[in-house]
Amino acid sequence: MHSESTITKPLVNDETLWTALEALGLGLFILDSEGYLRRYNDVASRVFGIDKDNGWGEQHISSIDSIMSLHLTEKVRPILDGAERFCQHGVTCTNASGMYQILDLACVPVALDNGHGTVLGVIRDISEAPAGNTTVSDSSEELRILSTVAASLSSSCELEQILEVILTGATASQGLGFNRAFLFLYDQDTNCLNGHLAIGPASAEEAGHIWQELEARDLSLGELLEVEKRDSAARTSSVNSLIKDMKLDLKAGSLISEACRKGMWINLETVADIDSMTLSFVDRLGTRKMALVPMISKGNLRGLLAADCAITGRPISNDSVQLLQILANQAAVAMERSRLYEEQIARASQLEDMNRLLGESQDHIIKIEKMSIIGELTAAIAHELRNPLAVIGGFANMMLKSEATDEQREYLNIIASETTRSESVLAEVLDFHEASKCDRRQIDFAELIKKNLGLIKGRLRKSDVEIALSLSPQPMTLRGNFDQLSHAFYQFFKLVAEDLIPPGRAEIRTEQKDNFAAMFIRLEVAEQDRERTIKTMKQIFSDNKASQRLTILVAGETIRYHGGNCGILSDGSAVPSLFVELPLARENTGV
Amino acid sequence: MSDHILVIDDDDALRLLYEHDLGRSGYLVDTASCASEAVERFSEGNYDLAIVDIEMPGTDGLELLGQLREMSPHTRLVINSAYSSYKADFNSWLADGYIVKSSDLEPLKSKIKELLVKSDRRK
Repeated sequence: MHSESTITKPLVNDETLWTALEALGLGLFILDSEGYLRRYNDVASRVFGIDKDNGWGEQHISSIDSIMSLHLTEKVRPILDGAERFCQHGVTCTNASGMYQILDLACVPVALDNGHGTVLGVIRDISEAPAGNTTVSDSSEELRILSTVAASLSSSCELEQILEVILTGATASQGLGFNRAFLFLYDQDTNCLNGHLAIGPASAEEAGHIWQELEARDLSLGELLEVEKRDSAARTSSVNSLIKDMKLDLKAGSLISEACRKGMWINLETVADIDSMTLSFVDRLGTRKMALVPMISKGNLRGLLAADCAITGRPISNDSVQLLQILANQAAVAMERSRLYEEQIARASQLEDMNRLLGESQDHIIKIEKMSIIGELTAAIAHELRNPLAVIGGFANMMLKSEATDEQREYLNIIASETTRSESVLAEVLDFHEASKCDRRQIDFAELIKKNLGLIKGRLRKSDVEIALSLSPQPMTLRGNFDQLSHAFYQFFKLVAEDLIPPGRAEIRTEQKDNFAAMFIRLEVAEQDRERTIKTMKQIFSDNKASQRLTILVAGETIRYHGGNCGILSDGSAVPSLFVELPLARENTGV
Repeated sequence: MSDHILVIDDDDALRLLYEHDLGRSGYLVDTASCASEAVERFSEGNYDLAIVDIEMPGTDGLELLGQLREMSPHTRLVINSAYSSYKADFNSWLADGYIVKSSDLEPLKSKIKELLVKSDRRK
């Protein structure tokens, strides 16, 4: 039982007071001294989400508490015990019908006509007041929200954390108070918006749980954002699945693509004529009352932020969409910063790798230089030793062929064989040294021919020689000294242009023959010139070096030095063909 | 009549070795210790073959090859060097043979024989 209060309590059966309060649009209810609901008006019925005609009149206040988490039971108790009143502003709750509400709540002691003390509860539903009122206090609140979100955004460079903060700032009741928020990221390659992340309850029931939980934790917006940032990796939202495979092509004209192009927000609630593409887009999210704000940074579209009040049904004012746009702009800058940060991290990592490689290369070069010096020294010693060894062994061999005693022969044999052994060691050392000096690189056979034909073009024109080039489509790679081989090919082409056929025609053809790249030059000369041409060719390519031209001699030796061959080939034509063949590089032959 | 060979090498002991060994093989052997002496000998006598060392003081063997080839186009020229690397030098390709110095004179003698037989065929 409660104790009587000494305060003069108004009589609640004074209908004048009840009517006056009702006229203000307030919800009213009366609790008896036991905490039972004795009377309530229509507004209170709607706020509680209870059915007046369904026995609710006998319910205890704790039943309402269990649904709405208003904690009225504990708040009413002090009033019954003599406290003056209880007032609370902006209490968030979800009622028995799943309706999200923000309430102003006050309870005062009253007296029944039977003299028993009781409580009059007064409720004002403020959730339907549009967000973004222009009062000084509201503006100050908006500023606080935006600066809190901005502070949270600036403390992270992780894209996913940034996106979580954006959506939390848009949906938290301590924030912009939207129910659900959806984020679409722009893909420049496809010119599409792709669904990326969503936050918010999937249903009124889930909303009730989430909001009760949040209220119980009693977090400020800043604290909530930090929690979201910390837990974002582990957190999944059921509304995420709604947008994960959503894609909006911005190439086709639509309200959304126009908004993205111009960087303007849209409040769909205020748009009368919505195109079919936009409609199908928002219908997938389950509401046509939605705020859409493009996220733009440095003039480039980064994404689209969509938010709604689908759970509370609260109307979306243009002011609140403008606030959302400010949030989106901050978010776009944060995303750009995150992108640049990621780029810097990647570049730093590349530089680290390059630095490491450079260090390794330097070590390698130093090692090679050391080896090279040792190699040069060894080679010099080896060469110096060759002469005396040749003399010692040579004389020993010569003496073995002359008359000598058996004993002398035995010793001479030992000298000769030990000299041979020493020479073979020297040969191995020198071979290794020469191999390491070899300057050979990959050469494209076709490029070698084309380059040198290009050099001889002027001479061909002057000599009235026409060249038909037919290169094998099969790529052929050689390994050798490009300058030396170029010199050789140039000499062959010069020979053709100046001595063998002018005026006339030559067909140059390439093909792969086994593991060789081959070039054939078939000559077409006038009948009266044939004999002279054949004689010249035979003279030039004879095995008597004294009769060869020095330039062709050198060219031939170059080809042979590279493991190839060259010469003339009688293939049944009136004039023999000239051929050059060079071994293909190992990587070209698959060996 | 014996084939006439000129051995050009700055190493006294090697010259002596080649002179004795090739002489025993039936060749008529002269020697020169440097390029200028070799040119002098070439201008005086008619050689079938010359054995040329490359690394010599003054004019080296590669330069000498050109001079000898010009003076006597039909004389066979064999490079006899401690270095195998000169094979890559264009100038060394003027020679008819390239032998790396060794205590075994058989490869040198084989090359001499091969080149002189070819020369005989052309005569």
